Amino acid sequence: MDPLFQNHLLQTRRQFFGSTGIRLGSLALAQLLGNTTAATGANTTNRIQPGLPNLPHFKPKAKALIYIHMSGGPSQLDMWDYKPELQKYYDQELPKSVRGDQRITTMTSGQSKLAVAPSLFKFAQHGKCGRWVSELLPHTAKIVDDIALIKTVHTTAINHDPACTFVMSGSEIPGRASLGTWLSYGLGSDSNNLPAFVCLTPKYPLTSNGQALFSRMWNSGFLPTKHTGVVLRGAGDPVLYLQNPDGLASTERRHMLDALGKLNQQGFDRIGDPEIQTRISQYEMAFRMQSSVPELVDMTKESPASLELYGDKVKESGSFAHSMLMSRRLVERGVRVVQIMHRGWDQHGNLPNDIRNQCKDTDQGVSALIQDLKLHGMLDDTLVVWGGEFGRTVYSQGGLSATNYGRDHHPRNFCMWMAGGGIKGGISLGETDDFSYNVVSDPVSLFDFNATILHCMGIDHEKFTYPFQGLDMRLTGVEPCGPVRQLLA
Amino acid sequence: MICRPNSLILLFASAGFLSAQEKLSFNRDIRPILSDKCFSCHGLDAKHRKGELRLDLPEGAYGKGESGAVAVKPGDVTGSELWKRINLVADDDDAMPPAKTHKTISPAEKLTIKKWIEQGAPYQKHWAYEPPIKAPIPAGSANAIDAFLLERLQREGLSFLPRADKSTLLRRVTFTLTGFPPTPAETDAFLADNSPDAYEKAVDRLLANPAYGEEMGRHWLDVARYGDTHGLHLDNERSMWPYRDWVVGAFNRNLPFDQFTIEQLAGDLLPNPTADQQVATGFNRCNVSTSEGGAINEEFIFRYAVDRTSTTVQTWLGLTGGCAVCHDHKFDPISQKEFYSLYAFFNSTADPAMDGNALVSGPVARLTTPEYLKQTAAVDAQLKAVEQKSQEAAAKIVYVDPATVVPLPPAQEQETMLIEDDFPAGAKHTTNVPNSTKWVTAPEFPVASGQKSFRISGTGVTQEYYQDGAAPIEIPAGARFSLKVFLDPANPPKAIMLQCHREGWSHRVMWGDDKAIPGWGKPNSGERFVAGALPNAGEWVTLEVPVEKLDLKGGDKLIGLAFTLDGGTAYFDKLAFLSFSDDAHNPSKSLQAWLAPKEGKDTPGLPAEINKLLKKTPAEKRNPVQQKQLLDYYTANVCTATKSILGPLTAEVDKLKAERKKLDDTVPVSLSMKDMDKPRDTFIMVRGAYDKPGEKVEPSVPKVFPPLVKEGRANRLDLARWLVSNEHPLTSRVTVNRFWQQAFGVGLVKSTADFGSQGQPPSHPELLDFLAVSFRESGWDVKKLMRSFVTSAAFQQTAAAPADLWKRDPENRWLARGPRVRLEAEQIRDNALFVSGLLDQTMGGRGVRPYQPPNIWEPVAYIDSNTAKYKADEGNALYRRSLYTFLKRTAPPPFMANFDGPSREQSCPVRERSNTPMQALQLMNDVQHIEAARAMAQRLMTDGGATPESRIRHAYRLVLARDPRPEELTIVRTAFDQHLDAYQKAPAEAAKFIRQGGSAPKAGLAEPELAAWTLISNLVLNLDETVNRN
Repeated sequence: MDPLFQNHLLQTRRQFFGSTGIRLGSLALAQLLGNTTAATGANTTNRIQPGLPNLPHFKPKAKALIYIHMSGGPSQLDMWDYKPELQKYYDQELPKSVRGDQRITTMTSGQSKLAVAPSLFKFAQHGKCGRWVSELLPHTAKIVDDIALIKTVHTTAINHDPACTFVMSGSEIPGRASLGTWLSYGLGSDSNNLPAFVCLTPKYPLTSNGQALFSRMWNSGFLPTKHTGVVLRGAGDPVLYLQNPDGLASTERRHMLDALGKLNQQGFDRIGDPEIQTRISQYEMAFRMQSSVPELVDMTKESPASLELYGDKVKESGSFAHSMLMSRRLVERGVRVVQIMHRGWDQHGNLPNDIRNQCKDTDQGVSALIQDLKLHGMLDDTLVVWGGEFGRTVYSQGGLSATNYGRDHHPRNFCMWMAGGGIKGGISLGETDDFSYNVVSDPVSLFDFNATILHCMGIDHEKFTYPFQGLDMRLTGVEPCGPVRQLLA
Repeated sequence: MICRPNSLILLFASAGFLSAQEKLSFNRDIRPILSDKCFSCHGLDAKHRKGELRLDLPEGAYGKGESGAVAVKPGDVTGSELWKRINLVADDDDAMPPAKTHKTISPAEKLTIKKWIEQGAPYQKHWAYEPPIKAPIPAGSANAIDAFLLERLQREGLSFLPRADKSTLLRRVTFTLTGFPPTPAETDAFLADNSPDAYEKAVDRLLANPAYGEEMGRHWLDVARYGDTHGLHLDNERSMWPYRDWVVGAFNRNLPFDQFTIEQLAGDLLPNPTADQQVATGFNRCNVSTSEGGAINEEFIFRYAVDRTSTTVQTWLGLTGGCAVCHDHKFDPISQKEFYSLYAFFNSTADPAMDGNALVSGPVARLTTPEYLKQTAAVDAQLKAVEQKSQEAAAKIVYVDPATVVPLPPAQEQETMLIEDDFPAGAKHTTNVPNSTKWVTAPEFPVASGQKSFRISGTGVTQEYYQDGAAPIEIPAGARFSLKVFLDPANPPKAIMLQCHREGWSHRVMWGDDKAIPGWGKPNSGERFVAGALPNAGEWVTLEVPVEKLDLKGGDKLIGLAFTLDGGTAYFDKLAFLSFSDDAHNPSKSLQAWLAPKEGKDTPGLPAEINKLLKKTPAEKRNPVQQKQLLDYYTANVCTATKSILGPLTAEVDKLKAERKKLDDTVPVSLSMKDMDKPRDTFIMVRGAYDKPGEKVEPSVPKVFPPLVKEGRANRLDLARWLVSNEHPLTSRVTVNRFWQQAFGVGLVKSTADFGSQGQPPSHPELLDFLAVSFRESGWDVKKLMRSFVTSAAFQQTAAAPADLWKRDPENRWLARGPRVRLEAEQIRDNALFVSGLLDQTMGGRGVRPYQPPNIWEPVAYIDSNTAKYKADEGNALYRRSLYTFLKRTAPPPFMANFDGPSREQSCPVRERSNTPMQALQLMNDVQHIEAARAMAQRLMTDGGATPESRIRHAYRLVLARDPRPEELTIVRTAFDQHLDAYQKAPAEAAKFIRQGGSAPKAGLAEPELAAWTLISNLVLNLDETVNRN
């Protein structure tokens, strides 16, 4: 639509609603949310997606979260957890003393031998911090001074389904609220034109073993469903039902919405149900998204400097590089949480070949995102998180040769990292044993990990609860846990 | 909408507090405070109890705690330690609740506690565990529901609003009972009917409409977590829909709720259960299941039983059992031991831990029809006749057993082909390394036999295998494998391997470097038999190895085979068994050889009488009649030579059997419950870990409830009967509350799923109890109950209310105005189909696939899943009721998810009602809604008269069952003129706009006009009033 005409239509609508369409919506919503300050006018911002009145609990370091989830369980041994001594144990049985009585999946529990498979990949030190990084990650190696690496994250689940559910919702059992929906619920959004929580599911190398994603990784569980992550898609409409149908011009849609707004307003005058006002404002948002989302996905105005960082594939809609750039654009426009889920990291066999492809697909994009955020002055208040749902075993699944091996699921320790708002860059936390099989120092549970994320966003994880079925539900469960102080800037 | 439960508790608690002289009720006024602030440290959970104090029981509160002080001294406020502690400043270490719990007691709550102590601090059992008692109906209305509600309203200085206008009322009740709006004809008839019972007549008509069962069933299926896929991992399709249809039918025939309960929990245990009753047990087969590689059986058997227990506890007891999986319930009197005693009822079910990703797994119910029975009877009769003929022919054959010939006939070698030019028919073969294996042909590649050889080329361990799809292969007696191999001289492998799947893959033979293919099987055993060095490269070599070397023997059945190599390139051809046919020892030729291994043993697959004879009667004791019986069976069914004489007859038998099987395959099956013959022992699982069994427990019910009396071990049927027994305090309360929620939008107990002490107290306890007892006394008559709800004056009030009423009671708990709720996901779609005339009202059957935007299933699905790719159906299936839409649980249909439909991965007793921009976009643009708008526009143009005004009026009557108001008419008329003008200027756009979806626009209508009316219909379908039950 002609931008001038569009502006005119917006103005008309504002006049029609007396003050501004946004204000009206924000008041109705605020009432529904019990947000009394906003409702009484004490809060003068025009946010139509406000957070809870008592949040944040303290001044946040990060305004937004970009969570890069590597689904399938990336091998910590081949990327981050450098074990030079392991070469000595090539093809030897994993010592019983290391393995303990840990349960292992039925995929390898029948194997007669658990032969140690040292990483094939060369490690070198990078950055001022001298971090050891595998040759698989030449681009990420450039940003290690911005990264706080945690080598000792652990989980309780040994299979994808429960582990993915756990990493994103704090429980192996489906039905809990996911991290992004907690943040949307608590902090609302600074954007009036886009949802608070957006998910991206980029393409991944076809040769990789792609485990399923589960919508519970972005579902709101017991929280109100309007917080559910909105999945921007690589193909078709980026937002479901965004486009007007063929043969319906935007001008006619506008006229139709004008009539709708008037009729609904009359309905409200007659009935008095505040939900009607919310609906009026949501049709406003729908209309705004019809123009804001195409603008969001239009990359033509990106600077060549930014585009170059991400590499050639950034131009391919739905590629990982593209979704990295999209993440920055979303956060730039006020979106609270962007969650990217990249599949294909489940390397039970032919790991060396597959992990090369996976890293080639993602390494540059991840590194570019950090650099690009810096370029735009956004890294200081954007928290970036990278990691999978568990790690992989030191012993080979299936055959082990000088050039090939596979690795099974390993929940006892794996690597994740954080960077940006609130995080101390260039550090490494936690040590594992010589086999990257057990945590030796500074274990970090997923609850600690999530508590740290909440902390960076200005939230005390213990105070952030939601009553459900007789319990005060928390993202961080019931066992003692808390933000990991060593990671904080 | 976000619920604010705490403020609500206050609302009701403070109402009690305000009337100063009123006697406090422990359950209404005190328990909610203690439960929320104190019980987590001073409640039932012994392990986490602090200061040796429990406040949930009077004995605890009145006695001395660890500090020596008495927490509550009845009548003595200042002498009560509890009062002292809750009044300390927050940073005092002794202050309660401790600061770290982030709980505070408000001044109003403190005053309530003070008054309670002054009044003697009386305790009550939690209200929900006391049996419901019918209180006398208050004066004020003849209708009991209204009387109780009015009594409460009077305390607020309120009363009912006037009755809604008839149109609004009819639309409201029609949606409530059938999930559809009324038709204009129904509206007209109702408006014209001025008799005093016009409304009641309409209600009775709706209760008799089959759509009633569909609407009621829809709510129940949320509770039952019904879905069309397994829900975990591959999330393949499963056959559960006959259960869905059973639920619909049960509501329509008004199956009493006690029977409804018994059949779903234990229909299989009823005497001579019907197929229907077995289908009903699908309730507890709806839980999500898995077959993920690596999953541990014991863990999932545990999880399924926990899910079934928790769902049952939640559905009938309205309690959250889930907490007690790991520890004693902190708030409700269900100990961990008691949870596992309930779990014991569900811990012996016969379904497998791994669902095999199959459409059907574990026990199933088969739904035969009279037509099926007739057809199968006919086939069976034919079959019997042919078999008889066949037996007569066999009787004429003179058979000589080669084992009785002297001298014995010589042995001859024979070949049984396994793989030649292709894997066995149906085998689903695959590789661990994509693009490393293929069938190749000469002359480009070496081929030894037939047209093709199988080439494998890889860098590491590379394998082609199958373990599904093909018929099992029986190993002939005394057989050896024979395999032709050609190794690429330029790139020979380190080793090659042949591997067989019997009841597992542990049968391997390899040639070459014994260090190659490491980690597979125990060396020097049948798991890893090294037959020798690699054969010469560059030529075809036949390798042979006796099956015994692989721990196999004649008679074993193989279900999978694999060719493997470690690096390099090799060609495999013609895999066969070689065996000697020794007539005298061949069971296919010699009766003696056939009989010998069966003597004195049970041989499954044989006709019962033959089996019994072989098992029970030793050969030397068989009389001539019995001997002949065996001989006849052998010659007719086993002996190759004689069977071949009977060839044509046998073929006919086979054909009839196949026909029979085809008939059987058309019979719908539904997963159902069954217990194992020998029940599993049940243990408390320590901290909820499936592999940490603790104390052993037997099936029983929590002590807080009336006992389940039973001699010997109680089963699910006993549990079901106990749930619906007269003494049970919860089942009827929980049930009427859930139905109340359906009618009024929110339950009398708002926390539908939690009647425990952390749940919300009922807004109208006497009414809840009155309904609970009446419902039970009515014989659990659900239709009668629903009728009583919708015929109450409360239900019939107008929802249009002054602003202060919306403010005072935002959730409408008092019912000082009529219920107004947003339509649910299915109702919104069904409404569009209904008013447009597109709806296909066919009931039941397998889930259908209407329109769905691209990339809903694909991005989340596992590649090998049979629900990885979505393909919409065509024709009428696009327009079926939403209840029949195929529901993939890891990616539910967006029209459901977008409007708060649950994923059905777990029980959902109450849905959210969100209000989002994504919903607006869907109603604006979804092809389903655009197509419906166009179909509706056609109705406006054909049935709506000639003028725009009359057509707009028709639109309102179709969708809202009312005429538009003048000001509405003006707005819509203006919009129409605008749209018509635009489309007349752009006829090509109009042509596109009216061609959306699978149905074609009606011929003969002017396209710009149809387009304009389509957009007007779209407008009316998007009205807030349209998506609400007003």
